[in-house]
Amino acid sequence: MTTRSHFSEPAKSSPGWLIFAWLFVGLPMAWGVIQTILKSLALFQ
Amino acid sequence: MLAILDREHSVAQPGYNRWLVPPAALAIHLCIGQVYGFSVFKLPMTKLLGVTKSAPGDWTQFQLAFIFSIAIFVLGLSAAVFGKWMERNGPRKAMFVAASCFGGGFLVAAFGVHLHSLLLVYLGYGVLGGIGLGVGYISPVSTLVKWFPDRPGMATGLAIMGFGGGAMIGGPLAVLLMKFYSSGVSVGVTETLITMGLIYFAFMMFGVFTVRTPAPGWAPAGYVPPGTSQKLVTTAHVSADDAWKTPQFWLLWVILCFNVTAGIGILEQASPMIQEMLLVPQATRGIDPSNTVALAQATAPLAAIAGGFVGLLSLFNMLGRFFWSSLSDYTGRKNVYFIYLLLGPVLYFLIPLAGRMGSTLFFVTLCVLILTMYGGGFATIPAYLRDLFGTMQVGAIHGRLLTAWSVAGVLGPFLVNGIRDHQIAQGAIGVERYAPTMYLMAGLLLIAAICNYFISPVDERYHLEKSDAEFPEILTPKKPL
Repeated sequence: MTTRSHFSEPAKSSPGWLIFAWLFVGLPMAWGVIQTILKSLALFQ
Repeated sequence: MLAILDREHSVAQPGYNRWLVPPAALAIHLCIGQVYGFSVFKLPMTKLLGVTKSAPGDWTQFQLAFIFSIAIFVLGLSAAVFGKWMERNGPRKAMFVAASCFGGGFLVAAFGVHLHSLLLVYLGYGVLGGIGLGVGYISPVSTLVKWFPDRPGMATGLAIMGFGGGAMIGGPLAVLLMKFYSSGVSVGVTETLITMGLIYFAFMMFGVFTVRTPAPGWAPAGYVPPGTSQKLVTTAHVSADDAWKTPQFWLLWVILCFNVTAGIGILEQASPMIQEMLLVPQATRGIDPSNTVALAQATAPLAAIAGGFVGLLSLFNMLGRFFWSSLSDYTGRKNVYFIYLLLGPVLYFLIPLAGRMGSTLFFVTLCVLILTMYGGGFATIPAYLRDLFGTMQVGAIHGRLLTAWSVAGVLGPFLVNGIRDHQIAQGAIGVERYAPTMYLMAGLLLIAAICNYFISPVDERYHLEKSDAEFPEILTPKKPL
């Protein structure tokens, strides 16, 4: 039986990857928030 | 090839940035949160045969309502059943299963719509998709609390915030896609479901390949484990099988169940409530009640305005998940729950007053504040569980606690709709149709506050030996139970 290393994948911790990861989830979320706010404006008109 | 999904392949290298884990978790939760936006499919799915209007043989709204109910029920059930499997196999495999089930659920549902088989839609989106929801919901939780022992509330709040925000993306996206695919002979639901299933699968795969578990014994630089000053925060571990033998588990179960039920008191009837309490009286003021044409014209835009109110509730539900859960890292979990459960009743009591005053701003402010605490209740629970039961099987324990959500998902609408129907039958109008529900929800929160008061540290006899906690396959209680 062979023992596998715990560290068998390259780390993806460069600042560029970190920024990409947050933009990947942040942009759709921001789009959803903007859609919601635009739709709710009529409530106060 | 699937070995890449194994737990040992997802252990982080030294130097891995832990701030990559929240976006991985968000990638899952933003997708599965779509379930709250499923209602946008309801109207088009009543016109699959008739296209422009419902035809004989088309599905009814009542039949379609079960799709969402089944999905939420299966969510709670699968979170409870698959929690321990998830802990054994790690977050990556669990996220992959979640992506396959959730994305696959859309595809099966699309096939059901194509064949006009409601059963297939129930099985696809409801059961298969529901398993994806349950496994996906709990998959990042224990990983996040292990990466962020210094700020577990903030970390889980970030992920669970995504679940609250998922509907804000999924709803408008579905509307856009149905508009794109619709034609003179189709409402475009089949194509929309296929497209969304593929998009969600791809999006969730980003989470699958980004997530990492910390190496055994890892801790952030400068982290000092909680001492005796925080008596509710344990450094010991309790197994999932022992956790639900403790009173703490069931006290939290009641708290979550009643907090969710109370939130449903607003969410379930948000649109008719704001229309009947505020918008209709405001819009029809000064119009002769016998002038039906003028009344119809005045009230025509109100449904859309109420839709904006429902969207606003979703937004604050999402924001509350991050805000309150992050705050709990500083105040302690018990104190933040006291805020939800004692401030909440005051706000519920004030809602009928806001309706009688006719103040839209006051009414909306009360409702959005309540929804922040509804979301906060969801988001803070994993960190509360971690404080009481340790990190070892917190995901599995969380999964079992989510059965409270399933129960609330049945209890909440039953109470809310039952009371409203009773009030209507009694001839109540406007505010009086909703006031009893608000008072009942306030009462439920007060009962939950009492439960919160009785939460104390878990008895040491449930704690696992340290060596066992490091090797969760072998679980032995510290003392005989």
